[in-house]
Amino acid sequence: MTDLLTLSIADLAAKIRGREVSPVEVTRAALDRAERLQSLGTFIRLMPEAALEQARSREEAIGRGDYRGPLDGVPVGIKDNIAIAGVPCTAGSLVYADYVPTEDAFAVQQYRNAGAVILGKENMHELAAGGTSDNPHFGTVRNPWNTDHIPAGSSGGGAANVAAGITFASLGTDIGGSVRTPAAYCGIVGVKATFGRVSQRGLVATTFHGDHIGPMARSVADAALALQALAGHDPLDPASIPMPVPDFSADLGRGLEGLTVGVPTDFYFDGVASEVVASTHAAIAQLAEMGANVREVPLPTLRYYESLQLDSMAEAFVLHEELLKTRRDLYTPELAHRYLAGQFVRAVDHVKSLRAQRLAKEDFARAFHQVDVIAAPTTLLAAPRIDARSVTVEGVEHEISASGTMVLYRNAFPANFTGLPALSVPCGIAGNGIPLGLQLMARPFEETLLLRVAAAYEDVSPAARRLPPLATEG
Amino acid sequence: MVTEDTLRAMLREFGGVEPTDEEMERVLASVRNYQRRAEPLGELDLATVHSGRLLHAQEGGPQP
Repeated sequence: MTDLLTLSIADLAAKIRGREVSPVEVTRAALDRAERLQSLGTFIRLMPEAALEQARSREEAIGRGDYRGPLDGVPVGIKDNIAIAGVPCTAGSLVYADYVPTEDAFAVQQYRNAGAVILGKENMHELAAGGTSDNPHFGTVRNPWNTDHIPAGSSGGGAANVAAGITFASLGTDIGGSVRTPAAYCGIVGVKATFGRVSQRGLVATTFHGDHIGPMARSVADAALALQALAGHDPLDPASIPMPVPDFSADLGRGLEGLTVGVPTDFYFDGVASEVVASTHAAIAQLAEMGANVREVPLPTLRYYESLQLDSMAEAFVLHEELLKTRRDLYTPELAHRYLAGQFVRAVDHVKSLRAQRLAKEDFARAFHQVDVIAAPTTLLAAPRIDARSVTVEGVEHEISASGTMVLYRNAFPANFTGLPALSVPCGIAGNGIPLGLQLMARPFEETLLLRVAAAYEDVSPAARRLPPLATEG
Repeated sequence: MVTEDTLRAMLREFGGVEPTDEEMERVLASVRNYQRRAEPLGELDLATVHSGRLLHAQEGGPQP
């Protein structure tokens, strides 16, 4: 049974389609493993009855010849800030403890249409407002590679579930690396598609322009299939863009000949732990060995990275204003202070931050005039311990949860305000035994190219397609 | 650096959500942190940054 849960999506799909494995069988196995690994803290709500009912329904349908593709009958998880009709959607917070959506998020509809079996709602950092997934209300999510360490966040539960072989894909959300960073620390692949490629409708959003729903999976090929099911225009989401959806798997295996990889000379390697820098440079050298041209690209405005994120402060305050007036007791003090501060942001600073973002977008546009993808570290450092309150990286001490700290997601957030497609693919194992990620970014709507490069690298990565020991025990 | 009195005055004049005395200390720290992060924006020429401006692959003119 263990082997069943660690199959690739394509291999499982072939067995389901051939009726060698039933959706009920694999769902039961996944639920059993979820029960056995409860100590990972990955679920806010496991939904065994609904999952088995859905699996039975898919089994019956497939038996009638109604096969819907690679995700049909495949167990998946949904982050608890994405709506499932009739199921509480807490966003990891007491603020939304009583919020029960009356309809599915578009992304959930897409997964249901593809036949995916939803195991439950996955744990996350409170209100997606941080990068540890150490949730004071729903428990601490632990990294399956070393349970004393964080899986990162905010989509920590989903990333840990995928790595532990509980789900084959999990839906996360990425406002500042919340899919890519946990993917890096859990040794899996996390994809944030171009803004507008995947509908946000039904997401407990945090901003107007930076939230993305994206899949996490154990390989690039699995991630491509998971994204395929998600993508598509949603006329009821004004931010959804009516672009044709290509076959994201079409170019996997095409290699790197003729492509140029950009290596940023600014920001992405500044203040990054030496083991992360070494791992990233080794990955870039492997891309070159495989035939890619490599050239440096400047991204000078990112030096102002701390100023580029000010716009989120006032947005967060506006989102929470009424509840901060009436039910402040529902917020942990750390978040309440942070949100309350947002009301004092000057409008001129907010607008200047947006204009500086525009300058950074222009830097990326120039860079992508010269290169096809940009490669950089996903994170600044290896996964910290859960009990760490601060970390020292290259001699600089960073608080992990203080207001304004970006140590856990600094390298990920530029792809959020630019909307560029980006992913993380495993590229090394840190000294603490936990994986590290290589971040790849591409031009808008070039996810197929991004996945092609990631797949080529995955074939030679020292860290790809590895499972933590607990994923293969019992 | 902004003071607690200034923040209280802003709330009085413009409205908003009043922090308790206990909360104010941490809110003030967050606001000062924001001010520190906003300061470098002064180094950038943002007056000419608008969505319609002509962007070139390299500064100095269009590329072939």
